[in-house]
Amino acid sequence: MSKGFYEFFCPVKVIAGEAALEHIPFELSALGASKPLLITDKGVRGAGLTDHVTGACEESGVTMVAVYDDVPPDSSTDVVREIAELYRSSGADSIIAVGGGSVIDTSKGVNVLVSEGGTDIAKYAGAGVLKRPLKPFFVVPTTAGTGSEVTAVAIVADKTKGVKLPFGSPFLLPNAAVIDPRMTLTLPPHITAATAMDALTHATEAFTCLAKNPLSDAYATGAIRKISDNLLKVMDNPKDVEGRLELAQASTMAGIAFSNSMVGLVHSLGHATGAICHLPHGMCMSLFLPYVLEYNLSKGESREALAELLLPLAGAEVYAATPEGQRAEKAIATIRDLREELYDRCKLPRTLEETGKVGRDQLPRIADMALDDGSIMFNPAEADFDEVLSVLNQAWN
Amino acid sequence: MSLQQIKLQAMSQSKRLYVTTMMQVVGRALQSISEQDEEIRKITSVFPVGFVFSMQVLPEGPGFALRKNADNSLAFLSELPEEKPDLTIYIKHLEHAFRILSFQESTAKAFANDRMLVDGDISYAIRMTRALNRLEAFILPKLVAQLAVKEYPDIPLPEKVIHGARIYLRVATNLISQQVKFA
Ligand SMILES: [Fe+2]
Repeated sequence: MSKGFYEFFCPVKVIAGEAALEHIPFELSALGASKPLLITDKGVRGAGLTDHVTGACEESGVTMVAVYDDVPPDSSTDVVREIAELYRSSGADSIIAVGGGSVIDTSKGVNVLVSEGGTDIAKYAGAGVLKRPLKPFFVVPTTAGTGSEVTAVAIVADKTKGVKLPFGSPFLLPNAAVIDPRMTLTLPPHITAATAMDALTHATEAFTCLAKNPLSDAYATGAIRKISDNLLKVMDNPKDVEGRLELAQASTMAGIAFSNSMVGLVHSLGHATGAICHLPHGMCMSLFLPYVLEYNLSKGESREALAELLLPLAGAEVYAATPEGQRAEKAIATIRDLREELYDRCKLPRTLEETGKVGRDQLPRIADMALDDGSIMFNPAEADFDEVLSVLNQAWN
Repeated sequence: MSLQQIKLQAMSQSKRLYVTTMMQVVGRALQSISEQDEEIRKITSVFPVGFVFSMQVLPEGPGFALRKNADNSLAFLSELPEEKPDLTIYIKHLEHAFRILSFQESTAKAFANDRMLVDGDISYAIRMTRALNRLEAFILPKLVAQLAVKEYPDIPLPEKVIHGARIYLRVATNLISQQVKFA
């Protein structure tokens, strides 16, 4: 089926591969910047990852004017304000974010404040409020999953009001995403697995949900192929530089895909479960992915798309050996097999029960919350409360 | 002016007329259905009382607005409010509004196709989209409604017929009384 209409947008320069970090000084000077503020978290700094970045810059005579290394996993407007003050007092003229989803979202918020002025970031919440480019901004992802380096959105919690502020604007996008295999080389196995499954979910939902389009499809299938070719290799050999780079690129490609075609019910369920039971996002994705795909298939949706995904998921031989009518089911089975392999290697939970953090009595609340999640709009099959609850029950054990 | 230009202008005028009328019909029908249908009131129950929802075509309308009452029903506002509504679904162009309101493109599809944007809380927008889907199922013949919504809700026939008839009736009487007022 050809798509009647679509939009596709990704103006982020991608700088990827060995010694990619060493391109940062040149890229900074190309934008007229020389005094970057580095934003990260304690874990990333403790693992010595920021040293690679500062080292690469110093060799070219660029010194960080300040480093903020205390971004919490669930960032807030207070943290954004604190970092904006540091930016101003240190005389910085650009931002380098080194970290995962929280660091990147926080840095997007900081860039809004330091570019637009003031201390109240809530003023700029919503879609399309920003009207002009912000300060030079680079993102160095340290997990291969979220894809936040190529998404034009950020979520920052306002803890005093107890609300999550959404920001959406193309100006939130960094000038460049710098993908260097050194940054993910030391990721522990369970995080490698969970974040890769997040990326796999981004690509799979981008390819199966309502806003799919030919350009995002190309990124999605490319990402899936890289993940299925490399994830288990990296799990078995964490120091596999090439494999790490492939996973990191897959994450960015999946990010480009889903930021242009959105995600679906796996994410609605994941967001709700994450909020209520405090489970990591990637773990939720891995957990729900096959159940939601089965649900969509049972409602007569996604058969063609899933059948196509068997090729990047399982390779040409399996694809060719599977009769056309069974390819969709085989694609889901391939994802299930991958989850089994990951469970063997790092105990990544396959069911809600296995997480040990979800009570069966919480499922109705999760279902309720998932129904209000933004991503449910783009799921190919409609789902009401009872249907969402039955998917949750399927995922229970 | 060439014949082609005249034709285009006439087409655009009739589209505008159609969209303007349908916006009114949908707005009024939402009020009617919210007074009678428990499900719709469940959908609106999380909105604060006085919450204003609007749907507008960019750049300057047409559109409609509704305000939530204490009993979770929705009151149709005869004019678009001066101050910014709590939630607005903007349709980017008259042509897109025409496709949506003539049920050639479903609301979910219209969101997926970037025809519409949300100004306000996205979870509220999803709830309003559900309300619109339910409304469409009520007031449209099944065949047309299936085009407009992702899934036709499983409403037993008598209920649907009764509801549908009632809503048609309310919409018609509302429109007629309005016309009488203006006449
Ligand atoms: Fe995700």
